[in-house]
Amino acid sequence: MTAPALQFDAVSKIYPREGGGGRTALKEISLEVAAGSVAAVVGRSGSGKSTLLNLAAGIDLPTGGRVILEGRDLAGLSEKERTLIRRKSVGLIFQFFHLLPHLTVEDNVALPEWIAGQTSTAALPRIRELLERVGLADRSGDPVQQLSGGEMQRVAICRALVRRPRLLLADEPTGSLDDENSRQVMDLLLALAREEGSTLIFVTHSRELAGLADEVRQLKSGVLVPP
Amino acid sequence: MIAYLQRTLASRLKHGRSLTLLAVLGVALGVASVFSIQLLNRNSLAAFSGSVQSLSGDADLSVTGRTPTLPETFYPKVLATAGVSEAWPIYRIDVAVEGHPGLFLEVAGLDLFAAGRLPLVSGDGAGDGNAHGTDALAAFLYRPGWVAVSPALAEEMGWSVGDTVTVSSGSRLADLHIGALVDFRRHTPLAPRKLAVMDIAQAQSLLGRRGELHQVDLKIDKGRDLEEMRRLLTAALGPAVQVLTPEQREQNAAGLLSAFRLNLTALSLISLFVGVFLVYGSVRATLVRRRAEFGLIRSLGGTRSQVLALILGEAGALGLLGAIIGVPLGWLAARLNMGLVSGTLTNIYLLEEIERLRVPADLVVLALLIGVGGALAGALQPSLDMARKDTRTLLSAFTLHQRADRLAPRMAFTALAVGVAALAFYGFYGRTVRWGGFSLGLMILVAFPLLTPLIIRLVCRPIRVRRLGLAYSARNLLLRLGTSSVAVAALGIAVCMLVGVTLLIGSFRATLETWIAGYVRADIYVSTKSWTRAGREAFLTPGLVEELTTLPGVRSSALLRRFPVMSGERKIMLSGISFDLENSDYILPLKSGDSREALRRVRDEDATIITEPLALKTGLGPGDTLTITGPDGEVHFTIAGVSRDYSTESGMAYFSMQTVDRFFGPGQVNSVGLYLKKGLAPDEAADGLRARYEQLPLEVRSSRDIRDGVLQLFDQTFAVTRLLQVMALLTAACGIALSLLVQARERISELALYRCLGAGRGQIFRLFLGEGLAAGLLGTLLGAAGGVLLALILIYVINPAYFGWTIQPHWPWPALLRQAAGIMAAALAASVYPALRGSRTPARELSREDL
Repeated sequence: MTAPALQFDAVSKIYPREGGGGRTALKEISLEVAAGSVAAVVGRSGSGKSTLLNLAAGIDLPTGGRVILEGRDLAGLSEKERTLIRRKSVGLIFQFFHLLPHLTVEDNVALPEWIAGQTSTAALPRIRELLERVGLADRSGDPVQQLSGGEMQRVAICRALVRRPRLLLADEPTGSLDDENSRQVMDLLLALAREEGSTLIFVTHSRELAGLADEVRQLKSGVLVPP
Repeated sequence: MIAYLQRTLASRLKHGRSLTLLAVLGVALGVASVFSIQLLNRNSLAAFSGSVQSLSGDADLSVTGRTPTLPETFYPKVLATAGVSEAWPIYRIDVAVEGHPGLFLEVAGLDLFAAGRLPLVSGDGAGDGNAHGTDALAAFLYRPGWVAVSPALAEEMGWSVGDTVTVSSGSRLADLHIGALVDFRRHTPLAPRKLAVMDIAQAQSLLGRRGELHQVDLKIDKGRDLEEMRRLLTAALGPAVQVLTPEQREQNAAGLLSAFRLNLTALSLISLFVGVFLVYGSVRATLVRRRAEFGLIRSLGGTRSQVLALILGEAGALGLLGAIIGVPLGWLAARLNMGLVSGTLTNIYLLEEIERLRVPADLVVLALLIGVGGALAGALQPSLDMARKDTRTLLSAFTLHQRADRLAPRMAFTALAVGVAALAFYGFYGRTVRWGGFSLGLMILVAFPLLTPLIIRLVCRPIRVRRLGLAYSARNLLLRLGTSSVAVAALGIAVCMLVGVTLLIGSFRATLETWIAGYVRADIYVSTKSWTRAGREAFLTPGLVEELTTLPGVRSSALLRRFPVMSGERKIMLSGISFDLENSDYILPLKSGDSREALRRVRDEDATIITEPLALKTGLGPGDTLTITGPDGEVHFTIAGVSRDYSTESGMAYFSMQTVDRFFGPGQVNSVGLYLKKGLAPDEAADGLRARYEQLPLEVRSSRDIRDGVLQLFDQTFAVTRLLQVMALLTAACGIALSLLVQARERISELALYRCLGAGRGQIFRLFLGEGLAAGLLGTLLGAAGGVLLALILIYVINPAYFGWTIQPHWPWPALLRQAAGIMAAALAASVYPALRGSRTPARELSREDL
């Protein structure tokens, strides 16, 4: 049996409040996501979906329990080690795309490679391949501000995939798109994740999109409940 | 609204501390620069005033010679003039104290029995120690060498009443006996610490010349008109003297120092200008963040003027805080540089040294006003801009950088217009006035910041980013043009000043070295220890001159006699030279023409060679006539040539010794130049002379010693500019830190994105350092270009107008490269704190809608 790509073991997250006490975002959550699978987490606003992704990416640390990524407990790692794991193994996709407006399409995709110390030249074949795959090869030199919402998210997907991460984390990837674009982008994301062999965890409030995943989890007030 | 202003200020100090403190520091450094220079300027004049007031404070008028001294016969003439109620003669001479190199006493020879009240010793008990009042003091005056000094000087030197101090005046030695300790400052608070008072007859015979006076001070009858009396005395005493009020004498000193003071003031204002930039940058950045706040105030019924007052009120408070810090900082800077400026005053301008740093209250008030005014000036444009906007616009999204990017071409066009206007102004009018050149300097300071956004755009836009390195950082300057252009412009101005002044100083120094090599032709020069201060009175006795010039090994000699004279209302130096044109290679480097032919005319035809500063200031040239007031009235001389000279900015005229003796009376030689026979080493010969005349107060210097001494003096004179350069650079470094701090705040989401994508803290840190480096590099390049232009203006326009010296441009590469390295180091250092702040941005700060 292969080891899970990501494992949450009784994970809790409590945000401290000024004046004492705290707000519980996640409460003793346990889950396992198999390598190469697609998992969807559904829930309403404030249910703890984004917190879950932040913990999975090592951006934040749990106040209780263990988050195990690639067999390593993230809480036991230094901030630098978690950054390096994220750089190497995690691809992030955001609801609001978070593309840098001063960079071209190609440069936005290249950004993780730059951060990893690679040059555009070295990464160019991979970038071109991805842009070709999402249908934006002819827009590679354009400023991202000239793209539509759907196109922007496709660029963001390319950026997330450029370093061939083992884990893809998508936070409401279609939250800023219309229905038609949502479906197209989601289909593309799922197809690419499968082609690349990446594990994909996406959070969404859409049950329809969640239905495209291999497994669906539901978050309700910080607790995992049956969907 | 005042309550709101108070709360906002408190909040800014609490939450936006770094940004506010940097802007405050910028103002503080600017104010400190201006305050320190003004403090030194004021105190340099106060030192001279103190000297005048200590002797002539009670006098209505002073009669002084147009030649250095006036005959004693003028004293009874003054007394006999109708309307003069009291008069007293004064003989002044500076003497070197043996055994204490560099220490001079300012000896005032007074006649206590003269018909007048002497400010230093009159009244009730001027004396301390064992001298009490006029009578007690007078009782000691018949003792040979009796002298009264201040208790402060006696304590410093370890002298007590009864001690003997050996002093030299020219080649003569004299023993002075400390007869009394008199606190001269009880009567005249500004009296020089090194003042020594003795009987006039003794001062004349022991240290100077009998039968001569330096001035006669007088009081006029009550009810008499001062100006009428001045005219009456001038008419009665003839053209050989001038009659001045003590204030006019102080004004003359102020005039003498005006160029020195003005140029230092101009440099210090550049630091303030850079500080104003910082306020501008800080206010702009703050206002962009607070747009919505002002929109809310407007929507709640606040008027445009209320918004304007609110912003300006904050800026004013910021400026006041900066000024409050800047004043003590400026005092400290002045205190540290007092010795250097003092050295310039005594060595170059022959004025009194600054002994104490007094802080006039009005100057403190002025500094505070400058701080507040500078901050308000920096805040005015962004404040007006903000106040003009309507409520809807204020509440809409906007970024400073988009606007700066849009405005860049328009600003560049304005820079061009400023340049054309300044050149036109200078071409049509500026050339006719002395200060005209400053309009060109101002043009650079105004035009370069306006050009900066466009230049950043032109440089950074083509940069192709291929990795997260320096190129990426450099492109970020373009993205945040609003803040980065302010930082680059501020640094550019500081570098402009740095490079401009370095080029000027380097060129001046190289020119001076070339000049010395041509001018200092003798192998050995012999003068006296007191010559630098006492001038004419520091002469070599005729017997000694005879002995020196006939020493074995001496091939030929050149003699020099120098003293100040009046040419019209201009005080110039007169140099009588005796030279052997045939047997020595004595020359005066001329601007044009044959030096030896000009010297022949000086020797044979009573012609004169004038120095370049005199030629430029008077408009005289070869073939023209120079008029000088001699003991018997005006004398006219034909100008045979104009020589390059860098020894005095007031100007000098060279004559043959015979001409000087004939028209100005016989006198003694101040300096002897000796040309050695071939094969003799000047340094060894100089050592031999020093040993031979060990008992005499002689200054024996080889040509190399002279060269080294002149360059040392030069370096000392310009050392004070280094302070201003450092201040401007520090202020500019604050500008870079401020710009990067603004970015660290504005770019939180972007930085968080980098962190999400796996960027480590070190990478973000290096990104910021890269931006600091890129800003530093651009500022340095821009500033270097401006600095070269500024240097050309300083060398070819401002320097000739104020000092009259020709300076050959020279590139002091080692100094320039050292400075460039220093600037880049400062830019990097300024980036460290913002880089730390930026690198601490956590990935979870990625907000939903930013970027």
